[in-house]
Amino acid sequence: MSWGVTGHHEAYIDTRVVVETPEGVDFRFVVAGPGKRGIAFIADLALKLALTIGIALCLSAFSVLGRVGEGLAAGLFLLTLFFVNWFYSGLFEALWNGRTPGKKMCDLRVVRTNGTPVSPLNALGRNLLSAADCLPPLVLIPTWNVGLLTMFSNRRMQRLGDLLFDTMVIDESREWVSRAAGITTEVEPIPRSECSGRYSVPERTLAIIERLFEGDRIISDGRREDIAKPVSLALRSRLGWEEAGPDPANPHVYFTQVPNRHTTFLRRILKTFADDPRTKEENSRTLASATHRRIRPQNMQSLPQLSESQEPQFRGAQGTLDALEFEWSATTSKQSRMSEATGNDAGDQHRSARS
Amino acid sequence: MNRERFIKQRRRDWQEFESLVGRMQRHRIAKWHSDDVAALSRLYRSICYDLSLVQSREWGARLEQYLNDLVARGHNCLYRSPPQSFRTVSRFIAGGFPALLRSYRWTCCVAAALFLVPFLVSAVVGILRPDLAEFVVTQQSLEATETSFEEMLYTSLDDRYAGERSLMSGFYVFNNAGIALKAYALGVFCGIGSAVILLFNGIEIGFLVGFVASKGGLLAENFFSFVVTHGAFELTAIVIAGVAGLVLGQGLLFPGEQTRIASLRQHGIESLQIALGAAGMLAIAALIEAFFSPLPISSGFKFATGLLAWFSVGLYLLRAGDVEEPAA
Repeated sequence: MSWGVTGHHEAYIDTRVVVETPEGVDFRFVVAGPGKRGIAFIADLALKLALTIGIALCLSAFSVLGRVGEGLAAGLFLLTLFFVNWFYSGLFEALWNGRTPGKKMCDLRVVRTNGTPVSPLNALGRNLLSAADCLPPLVLIPTWNVGLLTMFSNRRMQRLGDLLFDTMVIDESREWVSRAAGITTEVEPIPRSECSGRYSVPERTLAIIERLFEGDRIISDGRREDIAKPVSLALRSRLGWEEAGPDPANPHVYFTQVPNRHTTFLRRILKTFADDPRTKEENSRTLASATHRRIRPQNMQSLPQLSESQEPQFRGAQGTLDALEFEWSATTSKQSRMSEATGNDAGDQHRSARS
Repeated sequence: MNRERFIKQRRRDWQEFESLVGRMQRHRIAKWHSDDVAALSRLYRSICYDLSLVQSREWGARLEQYLNDLVARGHNCLYRSPPQSFRTVSRFIAGGFPALLRSYRWTCCVAAALFLVPFLVSAVVGILRPDLAEFVVTQQSLEATETSFEEMLYTSLDDRYAGERSLMSGFYVFNNAGIALKAYALGVFCGIGSAVILLFNGIEIGFLVGFVASKGGLLAENFFSFVVTHGAFELTAIVIAGVAGLVLGQGLLFPGEQTRIASLRQHGIESLQIALGAAGMLAIAALIEAFFSPLPISSGFKFATGLLAWFSVGLYLLRAGDVEEPAA
């Protein structure tokens, strides 16, 4: 559960849908909201218009040349109008595995809610229902209020046609949503200048911190602060970070923050170290970037670049932080120490030895 | 196993899977090689396992997302609805459609009543008080009806009328099938939209018929002989489109022992099939209306074909697709 984190209560990232496969594995889709779907819709609209005008021009050219009778040309034009109006999207989605040209441009795809491709009947049906979704018309122009309200009232952003035919529109561009999204919205990163140590918080620790903030944990703020305290203290000493004391000018700011200073600190840690690839070119699309050992956080640019072997490692159960790292922290077998020293995950050695 | 060893070990499979899925997504199912499919299903299962391993071990969000996307793409390739063929369509036309319609017998009765009752009432009113017709049907279309049916339509078969026929068939498809599909889609609002469309069409057509009947003579003969053949398809198709909409509304209002959304979904597919059937019937009606109905032939012949059309449509809807249930 690392990037599916819903964050803490106020900031809820609402576009993720989990699908369970028959193999018993959960995987996630990013659902497209009305914004991106609107852009795709407008692109399709433009294309439909171009198509209609193009066919009209062809037909009139033929009828002027006398190849096609005037009446026949007009009849064919009306037929075109009918098909473009009612079946353009449905046919494209049926033939192109859930995509129209506009959706393809925006990297959207229609799938069924269980993640499987749409069937032709579902594709046709969801698009016929747009006659109901586009209501009510304002001076003959559809406003799509029915569809929009329906979209905002369910988790998968489905309009009536989607609800009825069990489909949803997913965003395949896989724009990276920072794992810290929602947890770190109101805090500042820790500036490098305030830290005296050269320590960089490892991925595993970040995952544990993040777990503390997971939306489905029912922990009171006070309890969360209690849990955060030992972790926070250990990280402070490693980073060599000193919290600034109360500002004599207005000390109340400091004192109102005291009750959750450790939780706030951990949020700042996430903000600083959890990678935020919106500032980066790469994403997880390629195998190379996905398996890259460690991504240097942008917020810590002045951090000296350590090579793999130089990177500081946790040692056994010395710190309170390690005590939190689940089963493997309890034992410090010789084997696990050795593997830690070579930069491997002790816990996994331990797990595989046990199983 | 640690992260590095895991990646080193599995890397090749992931790359192979990636290229395999890319290749399969580019081609139609019919062109897939059986070896590829076997490899895909094997690799897919192992990658599912990899994903759950990475999810449980916190081996980095990027790796997890990468595997997540691989699983999503593989899932999209492997789990598909069975391909639809022309056979499915022909079987649907041959019997599936009327049988499906008959399984909604009472909804059909309601839709027919919603259309026929206002139709009959307004037809009778139209005969008794033809002056009222102009409040319902616009004055212009009444006059147009009067002038165009006063003499035989298209008295010769020359080119001008050939063009006119094509134009009219295009118009009939555009207009009537559009109304039918709208009647279906608006059924999603608890069936109210469909009911309203049925009522209004009933009233309008009823008044037109009443108005023409009150004039009598050649006008009435021309009009009814024109309408009777394609009416068999057109009027029934309008009612059937209404049925499709009402089936949607029924799914929403009377879910039975299902959740409302599940009931709506189940009725959704069936009602869509009904609506597409209605659209098909309207296409047939449009062809007849444009190419057969205005032919300059005797009214008697037209009434005969009309009778035949009504009889065969009725027989089709009431009998086709009746299969004896095999003894269980």
